[in-house]
Amino acid sequence: MNKKSIIAVVFGAVAFSSCSDVKRTPGKIYMPDMAYSRAVETYNDNRELQAEGINYNAEPVAGTVARGEEVIYRMLKDTTGTYVTSAALTNPMTTKLTEEEYTETERLYLINCGICHGTKLDGNGPLYNDGKGPYPLAPKNLVSDEIKKMADGTIFHSITYGKNLMGSYASHLTPKQRWMMVQYIRMKQNGETPGAAATDSTAAAAPAGTATAMK
Amino acid sequence: MIHYRSILQRVALILSVLTVLCFDQGVFAQDGKALFQQNCASCHAVHKNLTGPALAGIEERVPDKKLLYDWIRNNQAVLATGNKYFTDLYAAWNKTAMNLFPNLTDEEIGAMITYINSVPAPGAATGTGEAGVQAAAAENDNSLIFGVLTLILAIIVLVLLQVNSNLKRLSDEKEGIPSYEPVPFYRNKAYIALFAVVLFIVGGYYTIQGAVGLGRSKDYQPEQPIYYSHKVHAGTNQINCLYCHSGAQEGKHANIPSLNTCMNCHMAINEYAGEKLYREDGTEVDGTAEIKKLYSYTGWDPDQKKYVNEPKPIEWVKIHNLPDHVYFNHAQHVKAGKVACQTCHGDIQNMGEVYQYSDLSMGWCINCHRETKVQFEDNKFYSIYEKFHNDLKSGKMDSVTVESIGGTECQKCHY
Repeated sequence: MNKKSIIAVVFGAVAFSSCSDVKRTPGKIYMPDMAYSRAVETYNDNRELQAEGINYNAEPVAGTVARGEEVIYRMLKDTTGTYVTSAALTNPMTTKLTEEEYTETERLYLINCGICHGTKLDGNGPLYNDGKGPYPLAPKNLVSDEIKKMADGTIFHSITYGKNLMGSYASHLTPKQRWMMVQYIRMKQNGETPGAAATDSTAAAAPAGTATAMK
Repeated sequence: MIHYRSILQRVALILSVLTVLCFDQGVFAQDGKALFQQNCASCHAVHKNLTGPALAGIEERVPDKKLLYDWIRNNQAVLATGNKYFTDLYAAWNKTAMNLFPNLTDEEIGAMITYINSVPAPGAATGTGEAGVQAAAAENDNSLIFGVLTLILAIIVLVLLQVNSNLKRLSDEKEGIPSYEPVPFYRNKAYIALFAVVLFIVGGYYTIQGAVGLGRSKDYQPEQPIYYSHKVHAGTNQINCLYCHSGAQEGKHANIPSLNTCMNCHMAINEYAGEKLYREDGTEVDGTAEIKKLYSYTGWDPDQKKYVNEPKPIEWVKIHNLPDHVYFNHAQHVKAGKVACQTCHGDIQNMGEVYQYSDLSMGWCINCHRETKVQFEDNKFYSIYEKFHNDLKSGKMDSVTVESIGGTECQKCHY
């Protein structure tokens, strides 16, 4: 008879001990030198390096250009001036997006822009959702007349530096991707798709040969 | 008769025109919201200062109706007249120019102001969260009650067993059956043998589990400096994983977003009004306070709408860690392999606090490499595997696993 009692106690103890709480520590590790790299890795704290006198700069050296960067954009953000003058920039991508580029740009749009400006570019993304979402302001309707009239360069400038409460997307999209995005918005405004050769409409797509932002 | 009919027709016509007019007016007033969203909402909210000031109580602040309407249509012209209130306002908002709306009619502006006045101030909507609290509390209570009940029942069983054996001995004595000195249970060979076996099984199980688990941190769920809920961001608000972790498609690391990425939305979203959040220990999270913590790191002042302090990095606690001798590349899996984030990171869009879903052991890696079929079609990354492409076409093989393109070779990951 007592056998049962012991089994019951053991099971009780196991059951009780297995009701563990949230795991707030990573647990035991053998050879921590291997598990946690001694070499400098991404997201290592660099303040110690600075203290040790090792030169470490989180930002690129001024004036350097990233490899593969095709378009250099020199216009800096300021409150009034460059926003206006950015209208003079012309899109270095003078042709319509190819099917492949279109798919890629659409993917980037849905990741980065669609959350506010909506999948249909109507300014009603999930974050706004007719005012029911958490975002308190209505994002711009990108297929509205206002944006249709806006110069390519100004759209590019707005993506690069943000406008009003929109943030900068320079860290998310390369300059080339940003110009592709401008083309994508234009194609959406005109209802064009890469498959069907679109008739040249009133879009502000600059004719080839004009001076571009490329330097 | 004919005469009457024509009069009747006329009267009916006039009446219908009148009704249409009245009806039109009615629709118009309700359209204030649509007009507001179309024209004003990208800079103004009713109860919140955003790109422009909050518009609640605008009629009290500018009692002169004509001046207000002029300002809404062409603010530059009003500024040119040197009106003191608006000049001060313009200066207070860092001279952010307001758009011109010359085409708005008096009725349209009136309808928008009617709408603005009709929007209730936030803070009245409470009560929905109560049920959730009780449900959560009840759930906790249940498990505790069951535990206590099990314990009490176990004690009762023990006591009853003791009572039973004592009674048996007493009755044996009464009936004259000779009772031998009872062997205490800790010296009973059967018990000792049983205990040894149980100890061996249980102890062995835990020893082996512990040894296997050494260096694995499955379910690791550290407390982060800010309660950042993936459930709110990726779940409720449907933000794409790659919006913040854009590095996952570009390189080895799925980067932790830098603060400017947070501020893309949180410049405007400075309070949390969604459903209630709870930490793992059951305490409630004040979402607005957590957003304030973000501001303390970025140095953003939500009242002045600009960065006033030096930013400092948020020291997030790293959860997923691979040893130094393993090479893992996110881009290879996300971009070339087209593996969904959830395959390795679990149901991330429903996690309040993130925990490590997979054990990240080598067996786990290899198993997936053996089972996963590579998406060969429409994937330029694998275009060089001509033989496999031909075999697939000719039907010699129906799919290509990661293993068959060398995904289990040692030096793929250890080099």
